[in-house]
Amino acid sequence: MQTENKSQSPPSPYYRTKLRGLYTTARADAEAECSILRHALDKIAEIKSLLEERRIAAKMAGVYSDSDPPRKTMRRGVLMTLLQQSAMTLPLWIGNPPPLCGATPASSDYVAKQGDKVAARVKAVDGDEQWILAEVVSYNHSTNKYEVDDIDEEGKERHTLSRRRIIPLPQWKANPETDPEALFSKDQLVLALYPQTTCFYRALIHTPPHRPQDDYSVLFEDTSYADGYSPPLNVAQRYVVACKENKKK
Amino acid sequence: MSDPAAQALQPRLLQAQSGGSAGSSTATTGSGSGNSDPARPGLNQQQRASQKKAQVRAFPRAKKLEKLGVFSACKAIDTCKCNGWKNPNPPSAPRMDLQQQAASLSEPCRSCGHALADHVSHLENVSEDEINRLLGMVVDVENLFMSVHKEEDTDTKQVYFYLFKLLRKCILQMSQPVVEGSLGSPPFEKPNIEQGVLNFVQYKFSHLAPKERQTMFELSKMFLLCLNYWKLETPTQYRQRTQKDDGTAYKVDYTRWLCYCHVPQSNDSLPRYETTHVFGRSLLKSIFTVTRRQLLEKFRVEKDKLLPEKRTLILTHFPKFLSMLEEEIYGENSPIWEADFTMPASEGTQLGHHTVISPAAVSGSPALPKGLSSMSSLGSMESGGAEPITGEKRKVPEALTLEDAKRIRVMGDIPMELVNEVMMTITDPAAMLGPETNLLTPNAARDETARLEERRGIIEFHVIGNSLSQKSNKKILMWLVGLQNVFSHQLPRMPKEYITRLVFDPKHKTLALIKDGRVIGGICFRMFPTQGFTEIVFCAVTSNEQVKGYGTHLMNHLKEYHIKHNILYFLTYADEYAIGYFKKQGFSKDIKVPKSRYLGYIKDYEGATLMECELNPRIPYTELSHIIKRQKEIIKKLIERKQSQIRKVYPGLTCFKEGVRQIPVESIPGIRETGWKPSIKDKGKEVKDPDVLYNMLKNLLAQIKTHPDAWPFMEPVKKSEAPDYYEIIRFPIDLKTMTERLKNRYYVTKKLFIADLQRIITNCREYNLPDSEYCKCANTLEKFFYFKLKDGGLIEK
Repeated sequence: MQTENKSQSPPSPYYRTKLRGLYTTARADAEAECSILRHALDKIAEIKSLLEERRIAAKMAGVYSDSDPPRKTMRRGVLMTLLQQSAMTLPLWIGNPPPLCGATPASSDYVAKQGDKVAARVKAVDGDEQWILAEVVSYNHSTNKYEVDDIDEEGKERHTLSRRRIIPLPQWKANPETDPEALFSKDQLVLALYPQTTCFYRALIHTPPHRPQDDYSVLFEDTSYADGYSPPLNVAQRYVVACKENKKK
Repeated sequence: MSDPAAQALQPRLLQAQSGGSAGSSTATTGSGSGNSDPARPGLNQQQRASQKKAQVRAFPRAKKLEKLGVFSACKAIDTCKCNGWKNPNPPSAPRMDLQQQAASLSEPCRSCGHALADHVSHLENVSEDEINRLLGMVVDVENLFMSVHKEEDTDTKQVYFYLFKLLRKCILQMSQPVVEGSLGSPPFEKPNIEQGVLNFVQYKFSHLAPKERQTMFELSKMFLLCLNYWKLETPTQYRQRTQKDDGTAYKVDYTRWLCYCHVPQSNDSLPRYETTHVFGRSLLKSIFTVTRRQLLEKFRVEKDKLLPEKRTLILTHFPKFLSMLEEEIYGENSPIWEADFTMPASEGTQLGHHTVISPAAVSGSPALPKGLSSMSSLGSMESGGAEPITGEKRKVPEALTLEDAKRIRVMGDIPMELVNEVMMTITDPAAMLGPETNLLTPNAARDETARLEERRGIIEFHVIGNSLSQKSNKKILMWLVGLQNVFSHQLPRMPKEYITRLVFDPKHKTLALIKDGRVIGGICFRMFPTQGFTEIVFCAVTSNEQVKGYGTHLMNHLKEYHIKHNILYFLTYADEYAIGYFKKQGFSKDIKVPKSRYLGYIKDYEGATLMECELNPRIPYTELSHIIKRQKEIIKKLIERKQSQIRKVYPGLTCFKEGVRQIPVESIPGIRETGWKPSIKDKGKEVKDPDVLYNMLKNLLAQIKTHPDAWPFMEPVKKSEAPDYYEIIRFPIDLKTMTERLKNRYYVTKKLFIADLQRIITNCREYNLPDSEYCKCANTLEKFFYFKLKDGGLIEK
């Protein structure tokens, strides 16, 4: 009974100081934890970029050394798994969303780096234009043209394309819980990677993600369905970009 | 007893047991109390016993008391040890009972001298029913007494004597007889024989037409009935036959059978159980071989007595039925003995035919009353029910590796212990290094992901179909609509109406792939059991779920489903986009099924290619890639072990850089130390005499050179004609060079010769466009010389 009475009365100066002290320590601990986590994330990013560098180096070596037998192409299923994993491990941005975070586009003068994944508009063999998933090989500043490789059948098909045919993919996920404005909203027209393929197609956002690890649910334009759209399919943030053209193909 | 076959058979079986009317049964008849009674030759033991009981129960009360007094203890004084009144004037013959007057209650006992009344005083207020029950036991005791006397087999005699004493005690104490001791109480094994055999019928025959299935069901009923009345061989006979020193287990079963099944048949004081209800697979294992022989022999001998229609049934189907059953009884992994055996796959087949199965079969199969009985869950079949799949799944590869281990042992170079040890390091996850990488490894099997997803319950496989005779389950109809949608979206060139017609046709079935309750793919097929093949009609996975290995896993499930139903050929008309898929699934354009078997059965599509896949019933297809992966791991481990044992590094071979084309394997330094021996098999195939080989090759080369399509390859390519030829082709070769090499005796093995021939073709294909004139020549020439090689026996046909 005694203690209850005490707690109802204003705390004594002693306990007030003590409480303040505890709060300060807790805050410092939280900040320390934060910095450790950030540090760990930096390390992960560093490891990833090293791996990426190595991968590019290996790829270049593969292209330029003629003596080696041609590298065997990956089985498609494996490629698809890799693409899914790359989407899943895309880092989540904390804080004010910069360009290339979620739906936020790159700045107009942005140049994609070697090895970056992009959506590239290429002419297919039959003459049709198609948005494919590609990887940047180089950028020529004098001609303003990119050299990109089709992600499928690595190194076999290389395209030289002007800037406007290239859309860089997001490099961070936007957090739907804190930055919903950095995501595409319902019914917005986008280009989305059709599941289990390496091609982007026009689609409408059906539902944006609710949590950081969620995918978009999109409706692909598909004339084989009566209403002109596919049933909702899931596509990761990594593979949804803004659709520039508004005219239908 | 609704089964006519059973009814026809039963009396004869009983006769066989009681009197040996059929010669074959004498072998099994070790005992047979009262068999020799000449007065009533037509009656069996059971009938005689019940006649006798009825007689005794019709006695006047005084006579009954006299009879019971014989088995009742004297109660005159506490110290009297007499346990049964003995008639001072014994009847001259046991048969005189009827004529004799009942002894008076005051008649003194021959052994203790006290009156009969003193022996039966406890029965004064006992009801007539109880008296009759006791009298029944008395009759049985008398019969058992006879049996004990006549029985020659020691084991059987012992049991009879034990039962005799047991019943006597029960009369004395007016109690119920209970067999005590270490025998245990029935049922002794689950599932019982009846369940197992009914499972077997479902498992093996549910795909048959209703009439044939009914036949198999009748056979199974007949078999079960025979077993229930069949006389088991004595433990001594069993030991003699099997040459086993230790027949303990069989002896226990035999004793159980005598106490609970056999003796109670004629001795109704004892509770009676059916052999097929209380025993299971282990007893069947011990007796099946001999029982089968006796049964077939008996039917053969008695074939004239059988009804004509039964005769064909028994003589044509029964031997096969028994052989198939034998496989399941002695087989390693027969599912029919699993406690929770359900035959879901067959339900899909039976959809719409359920009404044909006789009610008895329905009651015997636990799967039917369930809500989803009309479809099959392949997943649950493998997992053996609701249990998590992991435990069961492991069974398959284990069984296989054991078999493999046997094969290795035959070769005699890798001891079993080593293989087991290696298996341990592979199975034990703790012994493996690094994180799980199965999703990332580029060389993971195509169906690995799908298999894992099935194991985790993410995807399911079901064989479903429509039915006209029976109202289909709503869920199945929804799935069929889902399948129709998937097929029509993925196969835009097929008219939707056509797809609908076939998917909903009751003769077609579809293996459906379900994820999150929705259909994401499937294979529609039609079985032609009479033609021995199945037609693959549609096969598709919805576009956003492709390249995940589902197609491969679907086809593997379909293969296993067909192996269970004894159809070992798939045929399909593949369009140009599907050929690649079917090739990956083991289909080929070589058709082995004779045209007459499929022509007019399979749907013919214009512009499509007929492809065939032959199934091997020994291959567990859904686990195959996993098993091969395991085997590779084992080999890798074995190599590592060997390397760590030898611990020696040799410098690499340099002779190839110096221009040598081939060296004998055994000349590689260190190779013998690894335990490698030149294969005797290869040696045997090789033509030993160099002159014989020379002449064969010379002959062959001459034929190739005269072939009309050989002209581009007659001489070395001239640099003037193809300036970059020697930059692209690193190992040029032509027929003239080959002729010179042959003359110089370069071709010491056929292998070298074939390699050069093949190189001519590959060089040509490398340098020229595929549809060029040169490549066309190369194609025909290649076919020609492989044909010649086979013809000459240089390569295997």
